[in-house]
Amino acid sequence: MAEQPQPRQETMSPGERMGAILMRQRPDRVPFMPFIFGYCARNVGYPIARVYDDPEKSFWAQMWTAEMFGYDGGAMYAYASMGGWEFGGEIKMPVSEWEQAPIVAKFPAETPEAVDALEIPDVETAGCYPIALEFNKIQQQFGMPIMVMAFGCFTPAGNIAEVDKLCRWMMKQPDVAHKLLRKCTDFSKKVVDYYVEHFPNYPMMAFTGEASAANQIISPKQFEEFVLPYQKEIHDHILASGIRNIFCHICGEQNLNLKYWAQMEYGDPGILSFGHEVDLSTAIEYFGDKHAIAGNVEPQIIQNGTNQQVYELCKAAIDKAKMAPSGYLLMAGCEVPVQAPPYNIYVMKKAVMEHGFYD
Amino acid sequence: MDRVGGICKDKMAPHERVGALMMGQTPDRVPFNPFAMGFSSLNCGYTIESFYNDPQKSLNAQLWTAEQYGYEPVLLLGYAAYGGWEFGGEIKMPTSEWEGAPSVARHPVETEEDVEKLELPDVKTAGIIPISMEFSKLCDEMGLPILPGTSGDAITVASNITDVSLFCRWLMKKPELAHRLLRLATDHILEAYQYWVDTFGAQKIMAGLYVTVAANQILSPKQFEEFVLPYQYELHEKILGMGVQAGFMHICGEQNLNLPLIQQLPLGSPQQPVILSFGHEVDLEKAAEMFPDNIIAGNVEPQIIQNGTPEQVYEVTRIAIEKGKKAPGGFFLMPGCELPPMAPGYNIHTMMKAVNDFGFYD
Amino acid sequence: MATEARKKEILKGLYDGVVEFDEDKVVELSNAVLAEDVDAYEAIMDGLAAGMEHVGDLYANQEYFVPEVLMCSDALYAGLDILRPHLSGKEADVRGQVVIGTVEGDVHDIGKNLVKMMFDVAGFEVHDLGRDVKLEKFVEEQMKTDSEIVALSALMTTSMLAMPKVIEMIKARNPDAMIMVGGAPISQEVADNYGADGYAQNAANAVQEAIQMVSRLREMGKA
Repeated sequence: MAEQPQPRQETMSPGERMGAILMRQRPDRVPFMPFIFGYCARNVGYPIARVYDDPEKSFWAQMWTAEMFGYDGGAMYAYASMGGWEFGGEIKMPVSEWEQAPIVAKFPAETPEAVDALEIPDVETAGCYPIALEFNKIQQQFGMPIMVMAFGCFTPAGNIAEVDKLCRWMMKQPDVAHKLLRKCTDFSKKVVDYYVEHFPNYPMMAFTGEASAANQIISPKQFEEFVLPYQKEIHDHILASGIRNIFCHICGEQNLNLKYWAQMEYGDPGILSFGHEVDLSTAIEYFGDKHAIAGNVEPQIIQNGTNQQVYELCKAAIDKAKMAPSGYLLMAGCEVPVQAPPYNIYVMKKAVMEHGFYD
Repeated sequence: MDRVGGICKDKMAPHERVGALMMGQTPDRVPFNPFAMGFSSLNCGYTIESFYNDPQKSLNAQLWTAEQYGYEPVLLLGYAAYGGWEFGGEIKMPTSEWEGAPSVARHPVETEEDVEKLELPDVKTAGIIPISMEFSKLCDEMGLPILPGTSGDAITVASNITDVSLFCRWLMKKPELAHRLLRLATDHILEAYQYWVDTFGAQKIMAGLYVTVAANQILSPKQFEEFVLPYQYELHEKILGMGVQAGFMHICGEQNLNLPLIQQLPLGSPQQPVILSFGHEVDLEKAAEMFPDNIIAGNVEPQIIQNGTPEQVYEVTRIAIEKGKKAPGGFFLMPGCELPPMAPGYNIHTMMKAVNDFGFYD
Repeated sequence: MATEARKKEILKGLYDGVVEFDEDKVVELSNAVLAEDVDAYEAIMDGLAAGMEHVGDLYANQEYFVPEVLMCSDALYAGLDILRPHLSGKEADVRGQVVIGTVEGDVHDIGKNLVKMMFDVAGFEVHDLGRDVKLEKFVEEQMKTDSEIVALSALMTTSMLAMPKVIEMIKARNPDAMIMVGGAPISQEVADNYGADGYAQNAANAVQEAIQMVSRLREMGKA
């Protein structure tokens, strides 16, 4: 880049910076949490699957990559296609060069009868949870806060039955859809209980989110009926269990759902992250008083755009959201693409260093 | 000092650091350049091919990647397969995922008769030269040092004009053919340097000299003496004699048996020493001992940077720094050869970390 | 033979049946088409397909969402299954052939299935390769069926990178094949950069794009 950056000194560590957000104080600069998983494996020379199937390698790939680019937020274990494996189906780890994350290889409940027969699994043996727990123990070993992957309701249900079946049930056999959502919700609560019991008094934040409930798929009315009550129940349970903050990723086009998301609790404060489809000003209007806002740099541009485009997009996001009343974190609108050019991620940090300081 | 990630203790800017090294002063820390060619292009979202055929993208990629990792840029648009295309053959740009650099697709010399007919190409239009000249002009506009994109190694050019195994046969059976190719290669390189000097003035130019094919994996020291030394001597003498600013010489691969011969080459003066870069096959302490007046560069094994764990990369880099720092003429940390384009980014960062941890002079 | 008024009523009923995703009504009226000797082709094009086109608009305007559209598509296929065997000679001729699939690395096929349906209803012969389709498979299927069009879908930013590769592979074997791309991260700009011949923002415009591509091909005398 032609222009010479103004050298600025960071005065907080990543941990202090996140701490400030959670204490509702202004950090030295806008925190930068790229939302990055498979990319980290590639950056350190591992196959992408290691981020999902090898707790030790996953942890170090993420920590090293964070150190290299100087971003905040460290490491977490999560992926979007949770549900299928955990409820008895099969998962396929990413292997080919075109795959980014695990995908459901066999759906455990494709018929109403199979939904009836589904049993709530044990957390310790369900799908990826044994791996997640190992990962969390490594975090604990280093005294880092744990991000509890709180499962969820609608997206996991779509990963158990397949999204188009879930959609058909919503239209024709809503009781089947509700039954499945109930089971997902109960499992979510069980996960939270497990963590609270097994990591007593340990600093934790819960991770929730919704991808399949985006308006590219369902209507706000369907959200109100099939997502809101369950998601709200999960959030209430998390907070009642003593976990103080929820990091919630509101994925994709959710503009029509925002009024329902606003009816849920996220802790004091929560962190709500948005895709590029939701304008940051809109997000601040709905949630900014009570919660920190994160987002929403378009992943496709991080992957395919020029570094000038990426820089401009980050600068615009920072300019728009930096002064959000409860804080702002620069983040990609969804997972940073595995094949993104490294220089584009560097440029995101550069935009933070040049435009993200508070003073 | 314009790095935006990680901790940076640097007291000098990259050009100040290299400047101090070249003037025989001690910089704040060991300078570092990872010899990143195709790697830089991929790092910035370009194709590897664009490194060799798009001067602007090539320059952007090199400058940006240096800025990102915080290393000293050494700007070059050139390639090891130099010679085949320039003398009238064809080049193949890297396009598949397994290709790291251009390769000769058709050699201009395939028979003995072809050698007889071969003529010096027009230096201004030969092969990569117009592209490389464009690149040098971009560097010049930015006030950056200019490293001509021609080869600096007659025997490598000769063995790219024809097939390397055929060339080796001629060394044994028809040495006159080999000598004719080496003569043409030497003359071409000198013409190219003259073209650069005429365009920019000698003061802006840094000479790039190499001995690649001459490695003992291919040639014996005796063959080096007959087929490499005289031409290389002439190149060094005449190019450095043009009054260029400085010189950089890459001594690629296993060359331990050739080192006493390389000692006989003109390698600059104590005031203006040539930087000698070595592969991992040559021990840096031995190199420093044999070339006490020169700046020593090298020699982290590229294969380890590509396939090793960060711990391994950190360790081999530490060893190189600790050995190199003792070189009386100064030290420039580099890999032993080009950085593999697919090397994990974190391993480059790890090398930089080792520089931060062990590379400071105090 | 139905009167003009009765025919109109049936066509309107089919249209409404698709839009209101009333599968029973579509089945009943499709049977009436046969019983009362209404032209099956007209019933498909002016009833079912016209209804689906309106559904496309409703989706674009965020009045309908995927669950509704899936219901509409079920109703549409119920009608097509009854009517299609009764198309006569020329009407049964296909408008073109299309190979469709979600590219390797990607299992998201809802969008692809909607596009496939639009092709079906518009009279294309569709060769659906499904999801997570190996790149070579697109090339093989195009060659085997001599399809004019290959339609590639991707939702993930990683799998979208497979698109330029498939395009290159297909064009290398058959430069005349027309390739269209679509999916959440794809834009016209991306499609152009990838060397695609067409881009579909949604299912309805996929078919329009495809029809234009086929006529372009025919003008060039290659189809």
